[in-house]
Amino acid sequence: MNAIRNPQGLTNLEGHTDFDITWPWNRPGGLRAGATAVLRVKDEAPSLPFVLPPLLRATDHVIVVDNGSTDGTPEVAAETAAKAGLADKLTQASYPFEVARAGAEHLGQHELSVHSLSYFYNWCFSLVQTRYSWKWDGDMVLTTEGEVSLSDLTWQIGGVQSIIRVPRHGLYLDSDSHGYLDLGLRNAEEWGYPVGPDFVFTKAFEWEIRSTPEQCRSIGLPQGLCVELKYLDGDEFAHWTDPESFATSWRNRRKRREWAVFHALKEGQLPPGVHEITAPDGVHIVDHVTKTWLPRAPRPLEVG
Amino acid sequence: MSAQPDAFTVPADPDPMSYDRKVLFVAGAGRSGTSTMAGLMKIMGLHVPQPEVEPDETNPKGFAEPAWAVEHHSRLLREAVVQVSDSRPDAWFETGRVSTREPERIRTAEWLEGHFAVNPELVVKDPRLSWFLSLWRVAAIRCGATPVFATMLRPPSEVVGSKQKYYANRLGSAHLAASWLNMLLHTERATRESVADGGRVFIRYGDLLDDWTKAVMYTGEQLGLQHILHAKSERIRDAHRFVDPGLRRVSGSLDDLGLPKRLHELVADTWTELNKLADEGGDTPEVHEALDQLREGYVELYEESEAISRSSVVAAEQKTRRGREKPGKEGAAPVEAGEPSYAADKVPHGLRAAIPPGVRRGLRKAVGRER
Repeated sequence: MNAIRNPQGLTNLEGHTDFDITWPWNRPGGLRAGATAVLRVKDEAPSLPFVLPPLLRATDHVIVVDNGSTDGTPEVAAETAAKAGLADKLTQASYPFEVARAGAEHLGQHELSVHSLSYFYNWCFSLVQTRYSWKWDGDMVLTTEGEVSLSDLTWQIGGVQSIIRVPRHGLYLDSDSHGYLDLGLRNAEEWGYPVGPDFVFTKAFEWEIRSTPEQCRSIGLPQGLCVELKYLDGDEFAHWTDPESFATSWRNRRKRREWAVFHALKEGQLPPGVHEITAPDGVHIVDHVTKTWLPRAPRPLEVG
Repeated sequence: MSAQPDAFTVPADPDPMSYDRKVLFVAGAGRSGTSTMAGLMKIMGLHVPQPEVEPDETNPKGFAEPAWAVEHHSRLLREAVVQVSDSRPDAWFETGRVSTREPERIRTAEWLEGHFAVNPELVVKDPRLSWFLSLWRVAAIRCGATPVFATMLRPPSEVVGSKQKYYANRLGSAHLAASWLNMLLHTERATRESVADGGRVFIRYGDLLDDWTKAVMYTGEQLGLQHILHAKSERIRDAHRFVDPGLRRVSGSLDDLGLPKRLHELVADTWTELNKLADEGGDTPEVHEALDQLREGYVELYEESEAISRSSVVAAEQKTRRGREKPGKEGAAPVEAGEPSYAADKVPHGLRAAIPPGVRRGLRKAVGRER
């Protein structure tokens, strides 16, 4: 049995009934119009002040689900939303179970276990009350153009059953004013999904995958609308079982690129396609890249 | 006590080329006074990118529409398979989808950039504009400009009434009223504040004709349009010559349209809420919420109507298919204006088949037509 074949909801293998899942479209009143961004986060306190404000402005609602943070992530999320004057658009929740890391650990878990990435995602998205959803990461920051694009699509999508792909570019930070933007890889993942029985999470080899009906529509946004923050003094690969987990398959080429760029930069090398960027005095590097550098970069953006 | 010397200094005329870049998008349903509004902006000194659409007998004072924008929107509407007066809520995603294409974003931004060299304050207006506001917002951002929006409001009974003569029956009014609802409810949503915007105003057509000075100065102040704030006397005289209060010829009430009950209620309630936006300080979260509910109500009504009339759609599809199979017979699909037609299509199939395949391929290539 898996998520796709459970029309009412999901019951976990461990018997944690308070974490059983009722599909949101089966709840009384059903779904309302609009789009919700869902973030599953663990120790993202440094990133959320950049991530949340544009996302809160662009979407109808944001759900942040914390999974065992020790750096005050939930408090930072609340403070950030309040500072932006958008606390009413933020819902926070906590998922207390240890979740399998991507790769071999994930493959070893049944998808109906509370420790499975798939179950975790299904539980998070069961909190959504709108007809459309954005899967979002706690380190993904929209540019100005990205924010207005997402904001417009959030109401334009209506009841249309279409997936939306969002390209993103790694932004490696080594201080508040200096970083490296990786435009060496062309990568767009499916982040926007309708909410409904055709679009639930199930299991893939290294991570979760969202089901789709056959011949589902899909559109892609242009390059240069979103960056993913990477901290050169942090452990950016802690959510993977080990590097061997992404060493071989074509599916993991993005992760391999990140591994290569991260270690090259740590060793003082500038890989091809990576731009070294210094922010003007008094401007944070993330703000500089998302509000000035990328929005004003010549188009079409040279990526890959 | 002595006055400060600065109080007696006469400031120099501002240099218009020093103004911040701003582009005013004039939106609203056709026949709602968008030409009058854009024309006034032009007289005040904002730049309508040239060349403009030529005036005609329906609008002898001109449309103040950049011809490029009209052609651009028409092509994009064709690609999105959306009509100017489209009542489908899903049509917004279709034009939004086209607006995310990088080549269109580049093309639109490059066009805008070229006109900023003439004047830092531009005005763009076209009845099709609302469908592509997301595209223009991105183009403005790429040019380092601030987008601002003016939406014209005219009672739906007048807008529909002025078009109704082309339709012989009550359901024609229903379609036009539904299109008006779809356009206005979503234009309001599309112009809500985003991080890049410099504000929006809603102007009643009646107010503009009654006292254009008040409406135009309100627009200038709300949107920070420097050409209006610093307009000189001769421009004000020109504007008085331009505005003709007699332009508002059609009147009537919503009851005259004989709309289905739920549609009538939605149109009436939407007009009430939109009117609040035109009052100073009326653009509030409470009104947005009311309009959100009305938009949901309209989407629901449309989905129900679509489900009920599914047989008509299937029949129309079959008729079109049959028409394609038997060209020239009754029910053949008409060629849309602007769609290419080919002389080869008029040659009977039997005769075409007699032409050797290699020659046919060469002829197709010569006229640039793919199989």
